[in-house]
Formats: sequence, structure tokens, C-alpha cells
Amino acid sequence: MLDMIISQAVNGLILGFLYVLIAIGLSIIFGMLGIVNFAHGSFFAIGAYLALVLARDFGWPAALLSPLIVGAIGMVVEMTLIRQLYGKEPLLGLILTFALALLAEAILRLIFGGAPVPFSPPAILSGFVEYGPILITKYRMTVLIVTVLALISFWAFLRFTPFGRIIRAGSRDAEMVGLLGINLPIVLSGVFGIGCLLAGLAGMLAGPLWTVIPSMASGAIMPAFVIVTIGGLGSYSGAIIAGLLVGITTAMTIQFAPVWSGAAMYVLMAAILLIRPRGLFGERWERFE
Amino acid sequence: MTQRNGNGGRGAGTSRRSLLLGAGGLAATQLASSKLGMPYIGNAAAAEPIRIGMIWAKTGAIVDQSTFLAQGGLFAAEQRNNQLLGRPLEIIWLDEPNPQGAQLNAQRLIDEHKVCALIGGAQSSFALAISAVAKKAKIPYVAANAAALDLTGKLCNKYTFRLQPPVDVHTKVLAPYCMGLGKRWYTLTAAYAFGQDIKASFTDFNAKNGGTIVGADEVPVGTPDYSSFILKIRAAKPDVVVGGLSASDLTTFLKQWNELGMKGKIPFAEISIGNTDIWGVGPDAATGIYTMVWYYKNPANTEDDKAFTDAYMKKFNQPPPDKAWMGWFGMRSLLESIELAKSTEPAAIVKALETWHVKDGDLDVSYRDFDHQMKRRTIICKVKDKITDKWDYVDVLENAPKTVAEIDAAFGSAADSACKMDSL
Repeated sequence: MLDMIISQAVNGLILGFLYVLIAIGLSIIFGMLGIVNFAHGSFFAIGAYLALVLARDFGWPAALLSPLIVGAIGMVVEMTLIRQLYGKEPLLGLILTFALALLAEAILRLIFGGAPVPFSPPAILSGFVEYGPILITKYRMTVLIVTVLALISFWAFLRFTPFGRIIRAGSRDAEMVGLLGINLPIVLSGVFGIGCLLAGLAGMLAGPLWTVIPSMASGAIMPAFVIVTIGGLGSYSGAIIAGLLVGITTAMTIQFAPVWSGAAMYVLMAAILLIRPRGLFGERWERFE
Repeated sequence: MTQRNGNGGRGAGTSRRSLLLGAGGLAATQLASSKLGMPYIGNAAAAEPIRIGMIWAKTGAIVDQSTFLAQGGLFAAEQRNNQLLGRPLEIIWLDEPNPQGAQLNAQRLIDEHKVCALIGGAQSSFALAISAVAKKAKIPYVAANAAALDLTGKLCNKYTFRLQPPVDVHTKVLAPYCMGLGKRWYTLTAAYAFGQDIKASFTDFNAKNGGTIVGADEVPVGTPDYSSFILKIRAAKPDVVVGGLSASDLTTFLKQWNELGMKGKIPFAEISIGNTDIWGVGPDAATGIYTMVWYYKNPANTEDDKAFTDAYMKKFNQPPPDKAWMGWFGMRSLLESIELAKSTEPAAIVKALETWHVKDGDLDVSYRDFDHQMKRRTIICKVKDKITDKWDYVDVLENAPKTVAEIDAAFGSAADSACKMDSL
């Protein structure tokens, strides 16, 4: 039994890293822009479909362009639609992004049809390795490495670059940043684009594991919201810890009470919110109070 | 006065000309249509449409199947030029996001759109919900995809008809194959009616035949990651894994089954899968032994089915998946029954559905009067070792049960049925 628990814990951690990658973009967009992006799962799905098409037509290396294209699409969406919402009723943001999610799914269905489309990992990453009771596939190991690299890169970008400092300052007091002569709208477009890029990256990596289907966004968006809520809205480190917690909780529930595995993360969320209503690392943000 | 008269005169002249042209056109249409053997055209334009409510999921985990179920239904209407009993035929398609949503939309179709019949219910839970509405509103309902036992079992009713063989019939066909592969089974089934029926019937068969269930997991619908379940199966070392996952859940499972190196190591079997479930897995990862209701390349297909396949391929540029056929055949049975009844009265349609039948070799395919279950053969198929055609993934092993007597035995008699049929 101990072997199974270790095996499931490691598997849950790897699954958690994938969840983190999906959730982190959502967390960033909320933290910096104050927008609850219901369309985040759609950028995830677009990322998967773009990677699929690029890999199929030009080979797997071309699929790496997918997150960049999704990021660019995200910037266009911000400049044309999301920008109109800043400083307005938060409900408008929910309605607009929800409508965007429905539109994106309809467009994917129109282009690719309703049936799932096959998408396999690159041949070089097929197979798995075993360390005692632990079994890890090469592809999941790659997902883990890419996720960790993406998280470290983004953290370093926020921490050590001038653009990162502007983003952090703008997320706290956009008006002051604007008064300092900084072109904040471009910064905000960049932030939304980065959030979408991370969703696209998650879609690209999850595509070969999950089913590529127009409705795949719904499978991604709920864990993402749960993780962001558990971690604390807008908290970068909170999203990482929460993602790993959700992964391990899900894996352990599958081991001991599989029928409850779908509900486990919601129970975890409810328990944490009861103890700490702002989430694990949620702070008091004056602009959201 | 002059102006009024003048205007009036010109106006009257124009009006008279329009009237004469209109009347002439109408007469010409009537004449032409009757000469062309289409007497309904002239009447249909003015007649009240016959409305049929279609409830197939537009969102959610089953949408990949329901898209084709809906497409098949619409295709059946289109093949009749959207005309029925000399009246326009209108198919109104609403979503079934969950059982409650399916129920609400069924009620909306009846109350607001005044439909004379319903078809739909992509999942058993949806179909059971719609069936309850059909019973209450006394509106005929064809469940073309649901397989849960209760639909034509203890929850049967006079207004509900089901095309898909129920889980126990599929089990009787597939379980002996599984037993041939080994007696230690692991069941991995969806945590709702369809999956629970599969778990119960396969477990029962296994026990009666001296087997062992080494593990049994129920999986929530829409589970995105099966790796933890697969690790449990791997540790249990069963001879066969009996699946009960539907649509994209099955696709995801099979992709991850292959990813974790299980393809070819432990056989996977499941009843009543759809072509789209396996198409989405891809040729590298696809594996398993299955039952299917229909397959476009089945040599035993009827002439009508072959004609359907040709027409579908011509229109959609791809072979019809089984779900398109099920949507088409279910709608066909309903439309032909309305024609048979020569009426849109619910009671007349129900009576016609009870007598409707088509020939399939030695078998009369029809809905049984005592439980409204359609009786026909099913297919046992196996994923090809090497897939070279992106649509043709399986080899048909057998059309089963073989004889009419065996079919009767598999479906069970009125005495075996849990259905206590009510009256109209």
C-alpha cells in the first residue's frame, strides 16, 4: 500500500504542475487587470488546436509557436474588447469573457467539427521510466520541466526586468503609474497576452494527454478557478502551492475513494476558504476592496 | 375627389393586376405540382408545420457524439425534403447540458414550440429525464442513444421508445469474449446510470462464470486525467479491463492508457462505444474490443443502410459514424410512424411506432410492444493492429446474437422484463 501511496503522490504532483500552468495565467490576469477571465479555458483550447495543426502540418517543433500565437490573439482581444471594461462594473467583465468562451468554442466546432481530433506526444517522448513504485512517462516529465522553467522565467521577468516592475506597480496603482508617464495600456495588453500565452502553453502540453475537442476548455477552467481561489486571487506563489495541493488531493482520492475524485478539489477549496476566506496566500488589495 | 378617384383608379388597377398575377401563379404552382406528382407543395406552403423536438447536447462531455446524432436526425428530415404528410417538417434542436436542463428543454419544446414528438437524450441520465417529461405530457419520445436498463425496464412508459440495445444485451454479447481472455476483471465505469449498469451486469456475469473482480472504480464524468486510475489497474494486474466510460472520457482514457505503456499489456473491452470516441484516440493509441450498434463497413449492413452511407458520404465527405446512423435511424422510425399514423396525434404516433418495422435479413427490426425496446443485432469489433485509414479503425468480428431465437433470448421476454407498461 505504501508503494501505491508514493506512486500516487508523485503522479498527483505531476498532474498538479499541469494544473498550475493552466491556472497561473488566470491568476496573473486577475491580479494585474482585475478581470475574471472566463475565456481562459478557451485560450487553453485554442493553444491545443493550434499545436495540433502545426505539429501535424509542419512537425512538432512548429507546435512551439502555438503559445506565442495564442498570446498574440490574447493581446488583440485585450486591445479590442477587454480594454473597454477597465474601471467598469466587474459583472461586465464576467459577461464579456463568458460570451468570448462560448464564441471560441463555436468557432473551434465550426472549423474542426464536434468530434475529438487525435493528437499524440512527439515520438521522442514516448515511453516511461520506473523508479521502484514510481512510474513517470517521459512526456509528463517534460511537461513538469517546461512548467517549472516557465514559472521561474515568469517570476524572474516580473522580479528583475523594468517591464516586470511596471506590471507589479500597475497592478497596485494603475493611476500612479500612468501619472509617471508610463504607457499603461500597452503594459496591460502585454499582461493579458502573457496570461493567454501561458494558457496556450498549457493547451499545447495537455493536448497529447487529454482529448482535443472544442469543449475541452470546460475541463481546464474549473480546476483553474479552484486553484486560483485556493491560492488566493492574484497570488503567484499561491497558485503554485494550490495547484500541487489539488493534484495530490485528486490522486489520493482516486486511490481511496475514486467516486469522490471529481468533488475532492471542491471540498478542499471549501475547507480552505472556511479557515482562510482570502485563500492561502490572498492579500488585502485596496483596489479590490 | 378627382385625385382620389384617379389614385384610386390606378391603385385599383395595380391591385387587380397583382391579384390576377398572384392567383395565376398559385394556380400554376398547384397545376405543376400535381402534374409532377407532388400534390403537397401547394398545400405545404400554407399548412402549419409539423414540429419535432430534438434534444441532443450542444455542450459538455457527450457533445462529440451528440453532434452526429443531431446531424443524422436532420439528414433524415432533409432526405424527405423537410416535408411530412404534405406539410413542412420543422426540427427544433435544443441543448441538454445536464439532466435538469434536458428536462426543462423537453418541456419548452412541448409547451412553447408545440412539438408532436421528441427525440434525443445522448446520455442515459438525460434520456431518463426526458422520458419522465414525455410520460407526463403524453408526447412520443425516441431515445436513440441511451443504454441504461431502466429506460425500457422499471421506468418504461407508453410514450418512450428506445433504439440502442440496453446494457445487459451488450453485456451478453461481449462478456463471453472477455471471459475468453481471462477471469480476473477490473471494472472502470462512469459514475452514472450507464456506467453503473455496466458495472452491475459485467460483475454479475463474472460471478456466475467463476471469475473474480480484482478492482472496481467509478469515475466522475469529465475526468481529465486517468493516470491515477491506470496506476491502480496496473498494480491490480487484471486479465481484462472492462470499461464503462462514454464519449470523450473514453478517448482521454485510451490516450493515457497508451501513454502509460498499458496498450497491448492488458486487454481493454467496453460495450456500445461510438466511432468518434475511437477516432479521437488516434491510430497509435487506439486499442480494445467493443460492441457497436452499427458500423459503416459492416458487410452485413442492409441495402437501406448502404444507401444511407453513400448519401452521407456524398454530402459530408466522410463515412457516417455510428451516432449519425443512430440519429438518422431513430428519426426515420419516428417520421415513418407519423406517416403510418397519418396524424400528429400522440396516441396515433405511439400506436404506429409500436407497429413500425423494417427488415434486416431474417429479423424484423421493430420496437417491442411490451417495453418499446428496439430489437436488432449488435456488432462485436476489435481495433485493427495497424490502422491505415483514418476512419476505418475496427474489424467486425461478429454480428451478434446470430439467430432470431438467440436475439429473443438476449433481449429477454415480456416475463423477464421489469417494465410494467402503462396505457395511453
